[in-house]
Amino acid sequence: MSDLSEFESRVKGLKSLAHPVTLPDEERVRRAKQVMLEKLDSHTAMDLETCVHCGMCAEACHFYESTHDPKYTPIHKAYLLRKVYRRELSPVRLLNKLFLREITAQQLDEWTELAFNSCTECGRCDLMCPMGIHITQAISITREALGAAGAAPPELRAMEHEQAEHGTVFGVGPEQLLRTIEELRGRGIGIPLDEPVAEVMVLTTALDLLLYKDTFAATARILNKLKVSWTVRSAGFEAANFGMLSGHLRGQALESQRIVDAAVACGAKLVITPECGHAYPALRWDAANELGKPLPFEVMAISEYVGREIRAGRLKVRPVEVPRKVTYQDPCKLGRHGGVFDEPRAALKALGLELREMQSHGKTQYCCGGGGGVFLIDASAPLRRRTFEIKQHQVDDTGADALVTTCNSCRLNLTSEARKVNWDIPVESLVELVAASLTDNP
Amino acid sequence: MTLLDFARGPAFFAAFSILIAGLLWRTSGLLLLRRRRNLAKVRIRGPVAAVAGGLRAVAMRSVPPHELEKNITFQHFTGYAWHIGWFVTFLFLGAHLPFIRSILGFGWPSLPNGVLLVITAITLGILLTLYIRRLFHPVLRVITDMDDHISVLLTILPLITGIAAFAHWSVFGLRYETMLSIHILSVEALMVWLPFGKIYHCATGLLTRFRLGATFIRRGVRA
Repeated sequence: MSDLSEFESRVKGLKSLAHPVTLPDEERVRRAKQVMLEKLDSHTAMDLETCVHCGMCAEACHFYESTHDPKYTPIHKAYLLRKVYRRELSPVRLLNKLFLREITAQQLDEWTELAFNSCTECGRCDLMCPMGIHITQAISITREALGAAGAAPPELRAMEHEQAEHGTVFGVGPEQLLRTIEELRGRGIGIPLDEPVAEVMVLTTALDLLLYKDTFAATARILNKLKVSWTVRSAGFEAANFGMLSGHLRGQALESQRIVDAAVACGAKLVITPECGHAYPALRWDAANELGKPLPFEVMAISEYVGREIRAGRLKVRPVEVPRKVTYQDPCKLGRHGGVFDEPRAALKALGLELREMQSHGKTQYCCGGGGGVFLIDASAPLRRRTFEIKQHQVDDTGADALVTTCNSCRLNLTSEARKVNWDIPVESLVELVAASLTDNP
Repeated sequence: MTLLDFARGPAFFAAFSILIAGLLWRTSGLLLLRRRRNLAKVRIRGPVAAVAGGLRAVAMRSVPPHELEKNITFQHFTGYAWHIGWFVTFLFLGAHLPFIRSILGFGWPSLPNGVLLVITAITLGILLTLYIRRLFHPVLRVITDMDDHISVLLTILPLITGIAAFAHWSVFGLRYETMLSIHILSVEALMVWLPFGKIYHCATGLLTRFRLGATFIRRGVRA
């Protein structure tokens, strides 16, 4: 717990580390519009043209549901992009210009709250829209435009700057990685570092190296058990991508490139992302498109990999000694955005745990409230508290003894919020549970 | 040339031309915008899966998502009701069928006037209720713009003018022929507006659903 408190204080201090934005207003607007017009494609344009302004997406959004504040209506969060599209790119832009004014720098700042502070890009609205509009994609472009205009929240700007400029996250670089690996080796867990050749390259995160070392250790024990040729590469071990979270396109590509270079250097055929939600879409879905060519390796989330190996009978686990009722939190970026639903559940089943699903689970799962970098944004704290109540009620209704997830941001956010309201349900890591039940456990 | 001749002749021709040209312009403009090739390795490959995922989304988005049913049922079903009522009135009113026949070269039996009057009145009632709801509902107020007002007005006007003409109401002392002309002109105003406002969703709504379904199924998610 003291580690968590210490980490929370570091997060609190992030805002003061952000470089001030000194761009003139006209330049900020110009940059935002430039990104919007570059990123808008036929698909998003058609989405923006097809919205019938029904407002049903509001009912899918945990920020709206927990506050009933209409400004949190998902499609409204995309209205800045829509405005630029309608004025500048729409086939009927000449008509639209009669009704629509130019966007302003003040609006950019207003949209920081809407596109960042009150949107985790969880994608629940995408699955509810009666017209099939990919709202999250439009909000994602809005984030990128705001990022270019220096309108991303200061916490995310500070994180992105640190990662892009220094290659570290929360000060964690290759030295901290080595220290943690040596610590775990001291516990008898073998972790191959910088192997020149490996079939599998494993990523980790600063969060795991600082707070959840047991998750990193569990991953290592599972891979050792499977006797695969694997490694961690100090030149590309960090899975978190703050370029993506802060809407900084070049930063996003830079972080992805580091991983790709590291994987290519050791000839990895498979790169495994850790229990970190956004790391998965950043590498699995976005990296190839950001870098302009297909990735020369497969990408799997650790829970996806573990579930696959258990199903295939290659990874043997014994059922837990004391049967428990658990519920499973599908991380949005793995589930709704990634299709990883069955593998984590297969692992829970193999462990002999009784899975009690929440009312909203699988593709309609509610976000933990802290995804998309929102956990780090100080201004979002009151909203996170409100959205957490939804999750708390859904978990309580299952009667589960524990909440299992496979995303360290979900885990951190849920643990942090639970502590504030003295909710004592344990939030556990799927990978740690699996590692604890390995047969012939080292 | 009388007003009725104008409404039935040059005005209709102009409205129809704008409708077709506008639809072609806006749709081709959208389709010609850049498209990005997805370079990421998808989870579920192949055109068959993509088409199945797309069609599934087209079908499933027609029913309310079960988890939200309690919150959106009214809006969902009233939306269906007025669309159906509007088109049934347009397609099955006895007075419309000679016009439809003259355009298409064939027709179909009409429904009894009494039935259609009830359907039209219900449709009008729903549309007005939804519009009033739009003016006062906090969420709808935030996302409502001029397009909504114009689109609702132009959707409602043919119903009101149609009822007036059908019932031979002499609004402001106007003759039947004038009322009929106004009704036809109101439909033509709707035809002119359709490609430019949000009513245009009738051209793209199924496509956006399909695209979303295909996009998500490639990631292994049935949307």
